[in-house]
Amino acid sequence: MKFRLALSLATASLWYRRKVLALVCLTLTLSVTLLLGVQYLRTEVKQSFTSTISDTDLIIGARSGQLNLLLYTVFHMGDATNNIRWSTFQALEKDARIDWLIPISLGDSYKGFRVVATDKAFKEYFRYGQGQPLELAGGQWFDGIFDVVLGAGVARTLNHHLNDDVILSHGGGRTSFSNHKDTPFKVTGILEATGTPVDQAVYISLQGMEAIHVGWESGVAIPGRTLTPERAQRRDLTPSAITAVFAGLDRKILTFRVQRDINQYAGEPLSAILPGVALSELWRLMSQFERALLGITGFVVVTSLIGLIAVLLTLQAQRAHEIAILRATGASPGLIASLYVIECLGLAVVACLTALVLSSLAISILGPWLLTNYGIQIQLRPLNLEEWALLASVPLAALLVAFVPALSAWQKSRSQGFGSPEEL
Amino acid sequence: MNSQLLSSADGSIDKPAALETSNLTFCWDRLQPTLRFPDLNLPRGEHLFLYGPSGTGKSTLLSLLAGMLSPASGVVKLLGTEFHTSGAGKRDRFRADHIGVIFQQFNLVPYLTAEANVTLPCKLSSRRQSATGESPTVAAQRLLSALAIPQSHWQRKVTQLSIGQQQRIAAARALIGAPEIILADEPTSALDSDNRDRFINLLLGLAGERNTSVVFVSHDRSLARCFHHQIELGQVSA
Repeated sequence: MKFRLALSLATASLWYRRKVLALVCLTLTLSVTLLLGVQYLRTEVKQSFTSTISDTDLIIGARSGQLNLLLYTVFHMGDATNNIRWSTFQALEKDARIDWLIPISLGDSYKGFRVVATDKAFKEYFRYGQGQPLELAGGQWFDGIFDVVLGAGVARTLNHHLNDDVILSHGGGRTSFSNHKDTPFKVTGILEATGTPVDQAVYISLQGMEAIHVGWESGVAIPGRTLTPERAQRRDLTPSAITAVFAGLDRKILTFRVQRDINQYAGEPLSAILPGVALSELWRLMSQFERALLGITGFVVVTSLIGLIAVLLTLQAQRAHEIAILRATGASPGLIASLYVIECLGLAVVACLTALVLSSLAISILGPWLLTNYGIQIQLRPLNLEEWALLASVPLAALLVAFVPALSAWQKSRSQGFGSPEEL
Repeated sequence: MNSQLLSSADGSIDKPAALETSNLTFCWDRLQPTLRFPDLNLPRGEHLFLYGPSGTGKSTLLSLLAGMLSPASGVVKLLGTEFHTSGAGKRDRFRADHIGVIFQQFNLVPYLTAEANVTLPCKLSSRRQSATGESPTVAAQRLLSALAIPQSHWQRKVTQLSIGQQQRIAAARALIGAPEIILADEPTSALDSDNRDRFINLLLGLAGERNTSVVFVSHDRSLARCFHHQIELGQVSA
């Protein structure tokens, strides 16, 4: 009976002071939204990051460290230490344990985006996320030597459409002074957004890569020795070297044996890495930052809880009369203290529920926009256990700090005299 | 001790006393003089008028009678129970069960309706809830009608009502569930004379119906004629 009385009094009191309390509740709501959002993004970004590439069992390149190989093949960051010979690729093709191979050749760029020279296998076998294949938003995968397929991010940023002409640049960098202007490419396809580095590259054939570099052996174009598109058609454009190979195996159980064999390949020094292992190692480097971010957000919540307590303590002065009435009517100091605990807890629960609604709304509204504009894939999903625990920790912390005003109210009302305090 | 008993009703010894005190003293802290109070003996159903200028410890005496403060020495006996020796929790429960209170002003919980303010004691004391005999809401409405609060005001926020109405609602709250004792601390000081007389007549009339003793504190001596007993609190001595 007393609990129901306390509950009804606390609710009425919260409603009575709603204008002041709405503001502190809003502060708490925003900080909980932030906390929830950061935690949600952490798991989503990790998910999105570790699923940058999937179904590929091995990435093979010239001898180097596993992070370096992963960075330049998958994330298009940094440069290859060396190339691998075409004959090595042909030898890998003959290996019966290997199901498929995607050759890639890097080195050029288009207005700051990497050019990836590959073949039909890329479209057919490359997977990201939970084994999702690449889809074309328009057009088709390249067929001719001077066809180019654009990643979704490239097409959006540069506002390219099908059949646009594109001049690739030699080497990396946004503003290159040496362009392959004799050999323009035509956009034949544009990929759907994937939320991975695939969006930030353009794709041409290995033959195309070879063709634009004829006459560039010294690093710059020697006039008269470069190919025209017509002459390129008649030439054998089999590359002599490529940068790296993505490989898929028939039987996953053989992955480590194949990896060891490739690492010990007699023809030239090679490195084979497991992309999953390399990705989680890379994530470990970044996880320090996201943990720091979560920690900061935690402090924001603590700060707003302290603000809430400060407001409740300030309101205590205004409540002297009503406390005097309740005490004189026979309410125990415990009941008075419980009012503060219930009010504080109530505010925290309201803030958490509002934050939950607010963040779901934000994610469902911003999700598609983030994917198309920034290539970040965030979907609305039920909270996991860790997130529920984080959310539940807010009312628990509120319950804990509620003892500050509750104890002070308890102490004051114990020595409460008859009538209003200032009359005594 | 400078206080004096001005008058006393006859035959009061036979009735069981609503409240009795003897040799009551109180001290806020060591630097302040000790307050000494006259001995009180109020039979049940009779009303006591306590008169005294400010600073004579009127509110302190009420706090002692209500069990919200403990005396430095002396005895407080309410309804035959030695009140001052009980623990704080027991005194809170006793107050909820047997005592109604009316303050000078700010008598009502601002975020409750008039009706909810009146039924508050029934929620704090099951004894007073059962003493209403009907539902507390019906009892509250009956009292509000008797105290001339229009029905349209029952569900209103009490802050929208006049001072006179607020004091009458406070009287209804003190009366509900027929407690044996009502302690009133200058409840009429904020009222004009018409409202004051009406308030006292209604309060004492309804208290009489319920056999409730009223202890009424005021600095307005002219009110004393309505009460069976009157006591003047005198000068404070150390």
